[in-house]
Amino acid sequence: MERNDNLQRLEIFEAEALSFSDQLFRVALRVCRDREKAEDLIQETYLQAWRSFHRFEIGTNLRAWLYKILFNVYYDGIRRAKLELAPIEETIAETIAYDPPTPQRLTEEEVLAALERIPRDFQLPVVLADVEDLSYREIANTLRIPLGTVMSRLHRGRKLLRMELANYAREAGYQVAN
Amino acid sequence: MDCQNFKELIDSYLCGELAVETNHTMLCHAERCSPCRNEMSARRLLRASLRQACSREKMSERAMEQLRAKLRSEAGLGDGSARLDEEVGAGGWFATLFRTRLLAPAAVVVALALLIGGIRGLRGLQRGNGDPQRFSKEQIMALELSANLVAETVGDHRTCGAYYVGASGTAEMPDSVREFDPACSKLDKVAADGAAGLLLRAAHVCDFGGRRFAHLVYTRDTTLISLFVTGRDSRAMKSGAVPTFSGPAQGTQRFTYDHIALGAYQTAKRIVLVTSDLPENENAALAEKLAKPVAEYLRTTEAGSGVEERIGRLNPRELIVNR
Repeated sequence: MERNDNLQRLEIFEAEALSFSDQLFRVALRVCRDREKAEDLIQETYLQAWRSFHRFEIGTNLRAWLYKILFNVYYDGIRRAKLELAPIEETIAETIAYDPPTPQRLTEEEVLAALERIPRDFQLPVVLADVEDLSYREIANTLRIPLGTVMSRLHRGRKLLRMELANYAREAGYQVAN
Repeated sequence: MDCQNFKELIDSYLCGELAVETNHTMLCHAERCSPCRNEMSARRLLRASLRQACSREKMSERAMEQLRAKLRSEAGLGDGSARLDEEVGAGGWFATLFRTRLLAPAAVVVALALLIGGIRGLRGLQRGNGDPQRFSKEQIMALELSANLVAETVGDHRTCGAYYVGASGTAEMPDSVREFDPACSKLDKVAADGAAGLLLRAAHVCDFGGRRFAHLVYTRDTTLISLFVTGRDSRAMKSGAVPTFSGPAQGTQRFTYDHIALGAYQTAKRIVLVTSDLPENENAALAEKLAKPVAEYLRTTEAGSGVEERIGRLNPRELIVNR
């Protein structure tokens, strides 16, 4: 009986939660910067999620819940130094007054390379908001930083990304309309 | 709004993070200013290519298989090396009671009590509305609302709500609402108690994506809040079938879709929804104040016979509000 019940629960869990594994992996990869460590982080995240799945409220945002667990596992891992993860560096990027127009006709490689050059403190909120579609509040909750900090990091992160891209565009000789 | 402001807000606009009024101001500015319009489309493109570029990485098949195996073992379904989880652990504890001779009779009594309690519980479930707190997993899943309904409700909140956000004057449900759903003719009055502190901007019947709603538009400071009543039909339910029970004491069903939070209550024939850009918890608390009394009122009208079932059908000629 118990076995069947557990099997049924696990099937629901797999059907609902595992569909987000690639999305979570992308973020994990950005955090760990190493495929193997990112895969470990994802596995640990899902094990934790399964252990507390009975506490998950049906109808609330499962994806945001999983991201939250991912970063819990990540921060715990740093604390216990078990996962041997490099902590996210705290960087202070100088305020940039100049905001160039966003160049067009950029390749995906250029966009990805530009993203890589942004400090992770700024990169993560941008990825969570613009790629993973988390709301600003969910990001604050996930990264354990105040909402105001999320907004300022997003603001700077996006600006840094546009600066990097404008550099590429200039080098490639694209027209950047002003 | 000047161009500098506009540029600062574009990304938040694209994320759906701005208040409805600000969205409106943004669109007005973009309509007039072509450099800003270009910048907006460039940023939209950048978002799309960022998304595309980041989506390439995938978890390896091997790691996925490992994960599945670990989950199985964690759930006590794997091979002999499987770890026991909480429930199986409880079973083990129970088994040791039986092994202790002295405690065996007590354990039998406990087991019998549990069994009888369990059967009673099941009977309650079969009656459907017996004890709403005790819905089974299957029943709770049957109550799940469809993605269609959620998307249509949010769509209506965004477009129709935004249109009426600045409406002034006293709003009252027009008599023509009877055409849509006679039970909604006093909707604004029924909701009034729960709407203390909110400003009623509009009351009407509208449609979005082929679904019709009785719609009350409220504001609180800069927050737009909508209350919707719509038909509980097969399209509204995730399972595609309407369950025969409605789960009155289930509490607010909560969702977040496209950055808009929804809180819902169901009756046998209708669904009452409250939407806003508040956080899901706050919206759920608001839904309890605003939608729950409405659902309770609708339930009383449904209990009496004579309420004709004609909610949710779309007949374009009946449209009271046309956007």
